[in-house]
Amino acid sequence: MLTVNHLAKSYDGEKKSLTDVSFSVRSGEVTVIIGPSGAGKTTILRSINQLIRDDEGEILFDQIDMRQLNRVQLRRARSHIGMIFQSYNLIEPLTAIENVLHGCLGTKSNFAGIFSIYNNREKEEALKLLQKVGLEEFAYQQCRNLSGGQKQRVGIARALMQHPKIILCDEPIASLDPKSTITVMDILRGLAVNDGISVLINLHQVDIAREYADHVIGINNGQVVFDDRTQALSDAAITGIYRKNANLEGSLVHES
Amino acid sequence: MNPNLQQVNHFFNKKRFRLSLILVILGLAYAGASLGLGFQTHSLLNIQDGIAWLIQNFIPNEASKGYWHEISQQLFRTFLVAVAATTCAAVGALFLAIIGAKTLTAAITVSWVIRGFSSLLRNIPIVAWAMILLFSFKQNDLTGFLALFFMTLGFLTRAFMETIEDFGTEKIQALQATGATYLQVIFQGLLPEIAVALMSWILYMIENNVRDATLVGLLTGTGIGFIFNLYFKSLRYGAAGLVVLSVILLVVTVELISNLIGRLLS
Amino acid sequence: MIKPENQISLPTQVPTGPRLTIPLRFRDRRRITIMLTLLVLAYITLITLPTMIPSHFKLGAALMSFTENIKIMFLQPHLTNTTFLTLLGALGQSILLAFLTTLLGSVLAFFFALASTRRLAPTPLVLGIQSLMAVIRAIPTVLWVLIYSVVFGLGADAAVVGITFHSVAYLTKVYADSMDELSPDSIETMQAMGLKKGTIIRQAVIPYLVSSYFSWTFIRFEINFADAIAVGAAAGAGGIGYQLFMSSSFYFNFHEVGVMVYMILAFALVLEIISYRLRSVTNQ
Ligand SMILES: Nc1ncnc2c1ncn2[C@@H]1O[C@H](COP(=O)(O)OP(=O)(O)O)[C@@H](O)[C@H]1O
Ligand SMILES: [Mg+2]
Repeated sequence: MLTVNHLAKSYDGEKKSLTDVSFSVRSGEVTVIIGPSGAGKTTILRSINQLIRDDEGEILFDQIDMRQLNRVQLRRARSHIGMIFQSYNLIEPLTAIENVLHGCLGTKSNFAGIFSIYNNREKEEALKLLQKVGLEEFAYQQCRNLSGGQKQRVGIARALMQHPKIILCDEPIASLDPKSTITVMDILRGLAVNDGISVLINLHQVDIAREYADHVIGINNGQVVFDDRTQALSDAAITGIYRKNANLEGSLVHES
Repeated sequence: MNPNLQQVNHFFNKKRFRLSLILVILGLAYAGASLGLGFQTHSLLNIQDGIAWLIQNFIPNEASKGYWHEISQQLFRTFLVAVAATTCAAVGALFLAIIGAKTLTAAITVSWVIRGFSSLLRNIPIVAWAMILLFSFKQNDLTGFLALFFMTLGFLTRAFMETIEDFGTEKIQALQATGATYLQVIFQGLLPEIAVALMSWILYMIENNVRDATLVGLLTGTGIGFIFNLYFKSLRYGAAGLVVLSVILLVVTVELISNLIGRLLS
Repeated sequence: MIKPENQISLPTQVPTGPRLTIPLRFRDRRRITIMLTLLVLAYITLITLPTMIPSHFKLGAALMSFTENIKIMFLQPHLTNTTFLTLLGALGQSILLAFLTTLLGSVLAFFFALASTRRLAPTPLVLGIQSLMAVIRAIPTVLWVLIYSVVFGLGADAAVVGITFHSVAYLTKVYADSMDELSPDSIETMQAMGLKKGTIIRQAVIPYLVSSYFSWTFIRFEINFADAIAVGAAAGAGGIGYQLFMSSSFYFNFHEVGVMVYMILAFALVLEIISYRLRSVTNQ
């Protein structure tokens, strides 16, 4: 499904944020990336859909290297990669259903995008997805009036509207209360199990990872330090993933 | 058809209808206003004629070099007048704003009187100011100075008042609770906190007044506006072009300086 | 309240990664800047003020005649050379001029702003448009109108084009600044979904922009109304400004000026009420 080979990235040309990261993600599974803050989790996720360019390595998505695509090809590829953010990133002044429908605009023309033209099938699907995440009665609410958990569920519905083969989630539950956390994680797990979508989640809560992940990748200081099934995630392994960096300068940055 | 789907369609149609309605109304208003003014939209396609004319005629030529001395002198004068008017107005405005701000005022009536007064000063057109002042003070810098002063006083009083009111009552009360006197509250508590905001207003007004000084000069026959008019009416376009160039230079310089100060303050 | 257009553009530098230099005594830099600026302003003012009063100038007499005229204006307004209806028509002309130029300016400026915001446009284009607009803004509106009245002939065309020039330059800057203030997240999210640029502008940028777009446009309308009057007087472009100019500098009739000033103030009051309403609506 998705294979990342020897991915490396440096923002400033000096300090390596990622050094030689390789892993793969299978369909129908929840893969969780854990690691201390500043380890490079976000950088990995954003490299996959090339929101971050100028990296090195190979990102094979359906046997196609995302890094070799031109602008148009990249846009087409991105339209089938869902993404979910810690801060939801909805268009707050618009209603929930409009935000969900944005998910299908990637495959449509600029004309349709500018005049908000959607066909009946798409509208029906958007409604169904809102129902799926339990928000059908909020369809016409402005997103700025929704709670955090509700916003994140709209975000998931929007991602599903893209018919994604993979969903990338960057700390999807970091701003949520415990109850919403469970709702959101249950939905994400359901997508993998029932719909066969690959779900790749950045987390820093180990207990959640243990509960929901099929496969865990541990990142520390830009390197993969753990890559195994969830059952293998022992306490010792966790201590290893979260150990202080040997690199003093790096660790100072991470603590701040 | 699915009632839910109908609702979605209805939602989008309503949105689209509202937008179309606004566009149609604006379009009609545009057409009506053009008709009422006798403005022909296609003249917008001829703006490049103006630019071309500007470039052809306004390129300062050999002859216009002789004007440089007079122009630079008037330009400098205009700048000084604009700065002086703004500074004097700022002092007056600060005083009025402190007396009149709702959070500091002794009586709400005072606040409303000052608000009304500043609104009056601001909204009397600068043409009227210039003309009345011209009649009494005749053709000299003082006229321009006073016209700018009154406008700016009105504008800054209002701006300062709102800045002070945005500062809030709570902080002022907190200071009063420590036993500070009225003047202590203002000089130790309020002014240091809002100084940056006031400064950016003053800089903005200086920029604006340099431009308005040209207009006032044109009306009252003083400063850079006057010599522009003189050259322009006597078809000495090269010299007039030099005036325009020098005004651009001055305004852009003032803007750059005020941006620089703004950055130092941020 | 009207914000200065340059206040919101103070460039905020977002430090990325670890900072090597700590801004030492940050507040001191501010205080010194303010003190120095005030000193310079005070110095300029103090040396300028005395030189402004010409020799042999009778300040007392001038002040007397000034207060006299103000009294005539505000306490004894009445018309002799024109009719109220004529003036109402002239006021209408000025309002139409302000409306038309604001509408044109806001539409044109919207596109220029899209091309000059860092969120959407490449840096060279941004810098190019911003510099061009700074130059256009630097030329006072009256000069634009005068220049165009030579090319187009004196009349509505010159007035509209001249005022529009300045409006476009002003609005481009403030719109672009509002766009720069948008969080990059929503645009980036749309890019992550593979949306095209036009779609992103319509679906992610515009919804956030609507309210600030309206308030800036309204502010510009107020400025354009003042400009329309000024241009009418200084460039003879008609409207209430022209009438004002004629009455005061041709007939020296301050009773008439009083009537016109009252009319203009009445309209300004209407605008102020509308802006108050707008603000309370958008603040909700
Ligand atoms: N835009 C950026 N510019 C420069 N450095 C960055 C940027 N984003 C992240 N970094 C650096 O890259 C490293 C990894 O960051 P990130 O991927 O955000 O970690 P995580 O998501 O695991 O907390 C950190 O050291 C961080 O300082
Ligand atoms: Mg992160």
